[in-house]
Amino acid sequence: MLRFLLRRLLIAIPTMFIVVTLAFFMMRAAPGSPFVNERHLSPEVEANVMAKYGMDRPLVVQYANYVGGVLHGDLGPSLKYKDKTVLRIISEGFPNSLLIGGMAMGIAVILGVSLGVIGALRQNGPADYTAMGVAVLGVCIPTFVTAPMLVLLFASNLGVLPTGGWPTATQPFSSAWRYFVLPVVVLSLPQIAIISRLTRAGMIEVLRSNYVRTARAKGLPEHSIVLRHALRGAILPLVSYLGPATAGVITGSLVVERIFSLPGIGKAFVASALMRDYTVVMGVVILYAGLILFLNLVADVLYAALDPRVRLS
Amino acid sequence: MKAWRTWALAGAALGGLLAAGCQPGASRAACDAGKLCYERGNVSDPLTLDPAKSTTIGEQHILGDMFTPLVQYNAASEPVPGIATSWDTSADGLTWTFHLRESKWSDGAPLTSADFLFSLRRLMDPKLASEYAYLLYFIVNAEAINGGKMPLTALGVEAPDPRTLVIHLTHPIPYLLRVATHSTMYPVPKHIIDKYGEKWTDPNRWVSNGAYIIKSWTLGDRIHAVRNPNFYDAKSVCIDEVNFHPGSDAIAVERSVRRGELDSANDIQSNRISYLRQPDQIPDYVHVGTWLGTTFIGFNPAIPAFKDVRVRQALTMAIDRDFITQKLMRGGQKPAYTFVPPGVASFGQPKPPHWAGWSLERRQAEARRLLTEAGYTKDRPLKFELKMRNTNDPQLIYPAVQADWRAVGAKASLFPEESQIAYSDYSARNFQAADIAWIADYNDPMTFLYLMKSTTGPQNYSDYKNPAYDALMDKADHEVDLVKRGQYLVEAEHMAMEDATVSPLYFYVSKNLVSPKLTGWKDSLSDWHLTRYMCFAGHKAAEPFD
Amino acid sequence: MESAVLKGRSLWDDARRRLLRNRAAVTSMVVLALLVVVAVVGPYLAPFPFDQINKNDVWMKPLTGGHLLGSDALGRDLLARLMIGLRVSLAVGVVATFVSLVIGVIWGAAAGYIGGRADEIMMRVVDILYSLPFIFFVILLMVTFGRNFILMFLAIGAVEWLTMARIVRGQTLSLKQREFIEAARAAGLSRRAIVARHIVPNLLGPVVVYVTLTIPGVILAESFLSFLGLGVQEPMTSLGSLISKGAQDMELAPWLLIFPSIVMVVTLMAFNFIGDGLRDAIDPKDR
Repeated sequence: MLRFLLRRLLIAIPTMFIVVTLAFFMMRAAPGSPFVNERHLSPEVEANVMAKYGMDRPLVVQYANYVGGVLHGDLGPSLKYKDKTVLRIISEGFPNSLLIGGMAMGIAVILGVSLGVIGALRQNGPADYTAMGVAVLGVCIPTFVTAPMLVLLFASNLGVLPTGGWPTATQPFSSAWRYFVLPVVVLSLPQIAIISRLTRAGMIEVLRSNYVRTARAKGLPEHSIVLRHALRGAILPLVSYLGPATAGVITGSLVVERIFSLPGIGKAFVASALMRDYTVVMGVVILYAGLILFLNLVADVLYAALDPRVRLS
Repeated sequence: MKAWRTWALAGAALGGLLAAGCQPGASRAACDAGKLCYERGNVSDPLTLDPAKSTTIGEQHILGDMFTPLVQYNAASEPVPGIATSWDTSADGLTWTFHLRESKWSDGAPLTSADFLFSLRRLMDPKLASEYAYLLYFIVNAEAINGGKMPLTALGVEAPDPRTLVIHLTHPIPYLLRVATHSTMYPVPKHIIDKYGEKWTDPNRWVSNGAYIIKSWTLGDRIHAVRNPNFYDAKSVCIDEVNFHPGSDAIAVERSVRRGELDSANDIQSNRISYLRQPDQIPDYVHVGTWLGTTFIGFNPAIPAFKDVRVRQALTMAIDRDFITQKLMRGGQKPAYTFVPPGVASFGQPKPPHWAGWSLERRQAEARRLLTEAGYTKDRPLKFELKMRNTNDPQLIYPAVQADWRAVGAKASLFPEESQIAYSDYSARNFQAADIAWIADYNDPMTFLYLMKSTTGPQNYSDYKNPAYDALMDKADHEVDLVKRGQYLVEAEHMAMEDATVSPLYFYVSKNLVSPKLTGWKDSLSDWHLTRYMCFAGHKAAEPFD
Repeated sequence: MESAVLKGRSLWDDARRRLLRNRAAVTSMVVLALLVVVAVVGPYLAPFPFDQINKNDVWMKPLTGGHLLGSDALGRDLLARLMIGLRVSLAVGVVATFVSLVIGVIWGAAAGYIGGRADEIMMRVVDILYSLPFIFFVILLMVTFGRNFILMFLAIGAVEWLTMARIVRGQTLSLKQREFIEAARAAGLSRRAIVARHIVPNLLGPVVVYVTLTIPGVILAESFLSFLGLGVQEPMTSLGSLISKGAQDMELAPWLLIFPSIVMVVTLMAFNFIGDGLRDAIDPKDR
């Protein structure tokens, strides 16, 4: 186990290094600069700005400085939001993204697994078709179609949920939850679809397997077979889906945060990339690369814990 | 059977949740009992809260509530006394003396003329790298100091006593009072900056001298501000707290205003205005008025075709501005045949180019003739690329411009970019034709017409070099008589328009959505709306600080 | 070549029979064929060019002014734009998938066949790339190199090849053990010939399935980029940018959202059903 973790850590280091390097040089290759606006700076003033952020030095030196900073946990100042550091921006936005994404994943797992199990147990029945219909629609309707339609229905027409926005820090959950409903629903729909398909397929396979047949032959009650034996095997593919699912939720959050104007880090990332806020872009990329690496690791450990045939080495 | 029961249960639960949410005003942000909270939509998050570094309109709306300069705008956007109660001008117009009232910073420290002196020197400090410092280059030695050629103390500003501030100018500036309302003239707290340096704008230790003070700022969420008890006119302030909510998607913001989540928004998607004005929509929310801005096309003279005045004229004539303003923008924007928008102060009656009154058919026929004369025919058409901002309005109008040009035999391809990147390309002359928007920094024709002076540099996007134009501008700069000055400026503009150095497309309008519950909102040319002048229907200033 | 064909025939016949019995898949194939014909031929037959501005036709409702599906804010015919948008989306889907196919098959087959140290390094590279937050890099690519059409194909293709490489490597490894490869090796065929003649043709099944499922993924990715303003640019269009524009004005001109959304959903569903059908038909597990 320890050796496994160490080895993963050893892979993580070059991965992060590649991430930082790619992000740094891609961002710098982009046309434009964070310091140019409609109002043109005089050459003297521009030189001052560049010097202030160390951008008057050769690119390689800047790169070395940046990597050095990152190793010390310093992601630098934001080049556009002049009063904020990158860490500050991340610490303001990331918890919100995490909250929405986490809730969406939680709901997606609960609903997705339930739908998948129902589908597998009542194969080709009306419940199965309904469940799979929902699943197909979830995959085929893009978030940016569902989101505005739900806003139109639940916020503008029915008036039961806000069109967007975020509760204040002191607001109790009893009133704050309204802000979360639509973003979480929109974000979880595609995941529910994928998870229910994975569960259904896994479940069908397991139900046909020898050990379930043995359990049936032993006369165990059906619910015990499903819950204790079959489900455990059926959610294995789900565990390995954890990594890609995270990536999916992150991608979705770029759209959802924008449509519902949520103060998340995904929206900040797109805006920063367009404004050439180099340091914020790199900071967010590093954050998410780390997150995905971490969740992949969690997935592997979980997989090993659930499947006795797999051993970590 | 079982499955159906599960579904029914789930449905009931969902229904219950929705019913629970179904309360009036359920989605308005939390506001403490007994307080008046103004939920204010704002086009963008501020890039900075430091007035000396501020560049965006979104910042101006926030900072205007937090700071009070010497001279400020009233509800109708006229310059009125702020921290200065009165002022005198010398006969030659070169020396302005401001007399300050007794007032305090929000932390109770006294606010004196030394703070203003410090603020102006800091603004010109090359190390601060203020993007807007150039606006005050008319102060003696300002340009040299900002360029690092003179010490800060050489600035032509004096504070002979704590209640007097003297500003020396290089030439008469008839619009000084209007510039004085700009954020570059805001006082910043020396005693706080001395202590915390560049980090003084942290909301946790915020100090300013306006009607409100900032309490917190979460990026992408809101800026939370409360009334400043030490504001000199605190008892006239009605609204207790104001939250600025950033939202660049005008349509999403529009939905929030309709729902009552926001009380006002300072942008509307232009082509929805006529829809919103329908009686069954929200006609009483829509505030559209003249605004001081122009959208125009610049031509890079490094492209041989654009050196030819006939080509520029042909392209300028061919555009159907009525289609753009009436069918595409639909918000009351005016077609532009000249450069300075209507409503700008101290300007004469503009003289449009000679062809402006012709019908579109006649103009397009003439354009075709001019292009042929310039050597561009069906077999050898004029081809060029137009670089444009990829925001909503340009995406809507340039395909139409492109079609008009195609009709007279010019083939333009469109190249959209982020606004910021487009402008950096324009400044570097990395374009052939460019889509440019210019909003007045202050209400005077100069803010538009200096763009075409040969000495202006990168912002003279078409690199217009006309000694006659420069001479007229200089003459205007040294003319104290406003009517005469206006005449020179009209002449200069007419010259540039006949040369078609740029193609104006349309003049802007200000577009606000304002809940009828919000009172005290006045539409104005500068589109400037301070929260301290506003209130809610049925309330009045609480006068808690007598 | 012959040996592979001879060996494969019965297997492919089986698969085809199973596929044709799958009603959803067959319907989807017919629908998809229609969509492709519309996308390829339609724009030539449309009464309006897709970028023609009709000054008197701004926001016409469907079936008015000669606009079957209505017109947009610039008076452009929605039907014509929809057909061009479909063409662009399908093209992005097919080309990007092809890019990922080529890279993935070469990489995966090489890794699987050469094996040993090379395999380990090559798959480690895939692992590392897998854990990059790819959407961020696609966004950065689009930002860095402008909204270039070709680049979008390449960028999305470059993201999708990883899964392809893994699938192909897995298949190659298991095929390598089979007798006919041994036989070919014994017959003195070179490595390259073995990969090209035996391994690649036998990979076809899983690869075809994966390709049909990748295309809709790519179409979605493109529309996602278009939504963020990073996709194709005006006056060119795609399903994604039609939808994102339509969503803005859905209260005023709902047809601008509804029709593109229907076409998008139908297209994606068709690909998904065909992919599922193919998998069921080819995958020996469900026999």
